[in-house]
Amino acid sequence: MARYRYHLKQTWRNLGQSWGTQIMTLFTVIMSVLIFSFFLLVYVNLINAGNRFSDELRLVVYLNHEIVPEMQPQIRKKIMEFSAVENIVFVSRSQAFARFKKQLGRDSDVLEDLGADIMPPSIEVYPLRDLDHLTQLKEFSDYLATLPGAQKVQYGQGWVERFGHFTELIRFTVILSGILLIMATSFMVSYTIRLTVVAKEAELEILRLLGASSTYVQTPLLIEGLLQGITGSTLGIGLLYILFTWAKERISGPGFLRLLDLTFLPPLTAVAVILVSIALCTGGSFIAIRKYMRI
Amino acid sequence: MTESTTENRAFVDVVKVTKVYSPDIVALQNISLSVDRGEILFLTGMSGAGKSTLLKLLCCMERPNKGLIEVAGRDTGKLKKNEIQELRQQIGIAYQDFKILPRHTVFQNVAMPMEVMYKPAREIRDRVSELLDSLQMSHKKDLPAGKLSRGEQQRVAIARAAVNRPALLLADEPTGNLDHEVTKMVMNLFLDLNNSGSTIIIATHDTSIYEGTSHRMVKLEHGLFN
Repeated sequence: MARYRYHLKQTWRNLGQSWGTQIMTLFTVIMSVLIFSFFLLVYVNLINAGNRFSDELRLVVYLNHEIVPEMQPQIRKKIMEFSAVENIVFVSRSQAFARFKKQLGRDSDVLEDLGADIMPPSIEVYPLRDLDHLTQLKEFSDYLATLPGAQKVQYGQGWVERFGHFTELIRFTVILSGILLIMATSFMVSYTIRLTVVAKEAELEILRLLGASSTYVQTPLLIEGLLQGITGSTLGIGLLYILFTWAKERISGPGFLRLLDLTFLPPLTAVAVILVSIALCTGGSFIAIRKYMRI
Repeated sequence: MTESTTENRAFVDVVKVTKVYSPDIVALQNISLSVDRGEILFLTGMSGAGKSTLLKLLCCMERPNKGLIEVAGRDTGKLKKNEIQELRQQIGIAYQDFKILPRHTVFQNVAMPMEVMYKPAREIRDRVSELLDSLQMSHKKDLPAGKLSRGEQQRVAIARAAVNRPALLLADEPTGNLDHEVTKMVMNLFLDLNNSGSTIIIATHDTSIYEGTSHRMVKLEHGLFN
């Protein structure tokens, strides 16, 4: 117990001696966590939106002849060779006609003189609704066009491609801001600890001569990094939550953005960001201790 | 039998030790010295005779070029980093240049060796107060050590060396900045420590502190015992 008290007391003393630098470091950690988690939040919401939009997403392969039931497993296998899919539905001419009739409702009498032959048979392919598959729809569509009897492949090309590219861009930004988070937090904390070590050179020398153990000297500096991580990441995520709540209130009216149904980071993700930041800050101080301390 | 051998064994053993500073300044030349457990030894000699170097070798601040040094039965040349730390916790050192932290208070400076050993706060408070009382420094315990006079700083350094009741106390010119009255106080403190079992080595050229005492005195001259 006495040990913990000494370490905390010494940490408090260190913080007091270099509060200006500590605040700058804390600010950097907060901003890095905020920037990273902001892009992560955007990314998570885009993925959610993508999932919702793509509930009805399917590729329809119009055929020039019916696929007999015996051929269906073979076609199914060929499709799966390109990509795993959620579902494949074979629609015959008569099924397509029945659907169309149902869609027309009261106006279905216009079809009375027509037969099912007017509808082309088709295969409806429901792709997996994740980003990797969404961004490959064009290639998938091209592949489906090579199926035997395929006349035309249709899907919401325009928006799916734009959405896919935008999400890719955000994913790239998340990775970049993640690198920024790693570099900024670990470098700044390491630099602060280095300054502490330099400022306390005389004290460390005396402690060494008094027989202070490495644990006695190093633990407060590790706690310093740990505290920077805990405070900086918690404040960063907290600040993001405040900004998120503020923004959500302002765009909750009717319009396209309402469709997004914005959600905050899942609790586990937020905790993971905090834990990783803490680990980075503590790691930064550990590296500085190993590099600059002689005790 | 074994117990008696351990009891009689010298606490400090210096055997044929030579210390040369770069490039070729010979501080100590092939010297040997034995100090018994519980002994007070005065190490005298002119400035530059090698007194401080010998004390530095005893607390592992320096390494000898040749020879063997044993403290508390341990060959200091073979100690690992953590063993040196353990040994230093048994040694109290009053440095000639004090080595106190000017921005820390008198209390904080004196308490450092006890804090390093994770002693309970109450024990530290009591022991530091007792020492500061005995050196008439209690009224300055909350002042930054840098604000004190040289003599007061020297008393802080001595109090810090004595605070853990060390098995070995090394004092390098402990009375250099003190008047007669305070010198007596310091010597009384050393005698108290010695009575409670500490081995004490005092490097000094102040003849008044060892003349008329029954304690052993050895003189260093140009790195050799005279």
